[in-house]
Amino acid sequence: MRLSVSNLTTGYGKAQVLFGLTLEVATGELVALLGANGAGKTTALRTISGLLRPWGGQVWLDETSLQGLSAAQRARRGLGHVPEGRQLFPLMSVEENLRLGAAFLAWPYRQEGLERIYTLFPRLAERRKQVAGTLSGGEQQMLAIGRALMGRPRILMVDEPSLGLSPKLAEEVLSTLAQVKAEGVGVLLVEQNVALSLEVADRGYVVEHGKVVLSGSARELLSNPGVQKAYLAL
Amino acid sequence: MELLLQTIINGILAAGIYALVASGLALAVGVVGIVNFAHGEFTMIGAFIAYLLFVSTGLDPFLSLGLAALVLFMVGAITYLGLIRPVLAAPELNQMLLTFGLSVALQNIALLVFGADTRVVSTSYQGATLALGGLSFGVPPLLAFALSVVILGALYGFLDRTRLGLAVRAVAQNRLAPGLLGIETQRVYLLAFGLSAALAGVAGVMLSVMLYASPTVGFAYTLKAFAIIVMAGLGNLRGVVPAAITLAMAEALVSTYVPGGGGWVEAVFFLVIFVTLTWRSWRAA
Repeated sequence: MRLSVSNLTTGYGKAQVLFGLTLEVATGELVALLGANGAGKTTALRTISGLLRPWGGQVWLDETSLQGLSAAQRARRGLGHVPEGRQLFPLMSVEENLRLGAAFLAWPYRQEGLERIYTLFPRLAERRKQVAGTLSGGEQQMLAIGRALMGRPRILMVDEPSLGLSPKLAEEVLSTLAQVKAEGVGVLLVEQNVALSLEVADRGYVVEHGKVVLSGSARELLSNPGVQKAYLAL
Repeated sequence: MELLLQTIINGILAAGIYALVASGLALAVGVVGIVNFAHGEFTMIGAFIAYLLFVSTGLDPFLSLGLAALVLFMVGAITYLGLIRPVLAAPELNQMLLTFGLSVALQNIALLVFGADTRVVSTSYQGATLALGGLSFGVPPLLAFALSVVILGALYGFLDRTRLGLAVRAVAQNRLAPGLLGIETQRVYLLAFGLSAALAGVAGVMLSVMLYASPTVGFAYTLKAFAIIVMAGLGNLRGVVPAAITLAMAEALVSTYVPGGGGWVEAVFFLVIFVTLTWRSWRAA
């Protein structure tokens, strides 16, 4: 499956944020979406997943246009989104949070999903009865990712998973995403930590003022003088 | 001692209806996020449905519960689609003005149709009591209480044990995430508001026997339900039942032990809101 975004424009009220964003993510690859604060990365994810209405442009999953579909309909078609701030259900247990990620699937998938996520995140298995609001930041991030994976997405968009985590935990979370990719899911990763995300990514896009200004393989981007100067502080 | 025991029993029996109305309001406030001042009017409609069915067909109100619940679910669903959904994103003040307006409108429509008289459904067992030791139980309150327990048990079973119930609780805790997980939040809102109205309506059916049906019968229940959900903590569905028992018990004790207590009963809910909010703000400070 392939997520294609072409010429996406949107904004809040009169303030335009995206100015014709174009990108692609296929299953089995990990793509980083890089850029400064306010470049429009989170807005891009919100528009792609249907939380925000686009002003123009198109979003496709393979040959199917997602125009006019609700966020829920997009999720059911295989587009996962781990939103900014995790957005867990704080008073529910780890297991209830996970179950909600698969609420729309048939029973065998719901059961099988739990086992799959507990294998991927053994820490969550240990805390399955614990209330989500009392988890540590790293565990909450794992839960947010695990919950999205419960819906068996083909493409998973992850917004700032390392935010507020220690470098060690951030690395742990990102290496999990590499594992998710290895299982055949396409991952679109928004990250502040450019060095770390290019370490796990296959490709990347650099976004400035709501559009892609540079794209290439992770290696190309790492050696690009502009990227080094702006994001890697070399 | 017997007087105290009788008072406590009266309080517990009254708590059933309170818990029904308040659980409904807790769904509207906690899940849909709308402060519904017209909640008691759903109770009023339920009472009139029971009255009309009784007068026209002789159907016992306790048997018309199911039908009334179904009708009120539809009324709630239509209210949600027609009035509530368009203002979900509007400022809270606008929402409150809308539901307050709906309350006034429904009361006045009922006034036009039925007049201001109170109408009682006079069943054969209306005044019947069961005596146990020195205590006496009215048959209608006992029936109403038993049915409330069954209905609330079903409600909480639904919320705790089913996938749909889990989704309803999820929406109450986070409005953004369910959509991203493939759950249509709009449908959850519709279901929750329909259930909210149905619970209020069922309580109204019971009131038609125990109290009366009148255009303004629901208003006091709106206020008391607010007192209960404030006590439980807004959005806390689980706290509704103990809070309902507390309010009903406080009212029963006031009516028995405070001289001229009957008149003070209707002020208890206000005192409850006042004390709860003051205590919370002290504790938070």
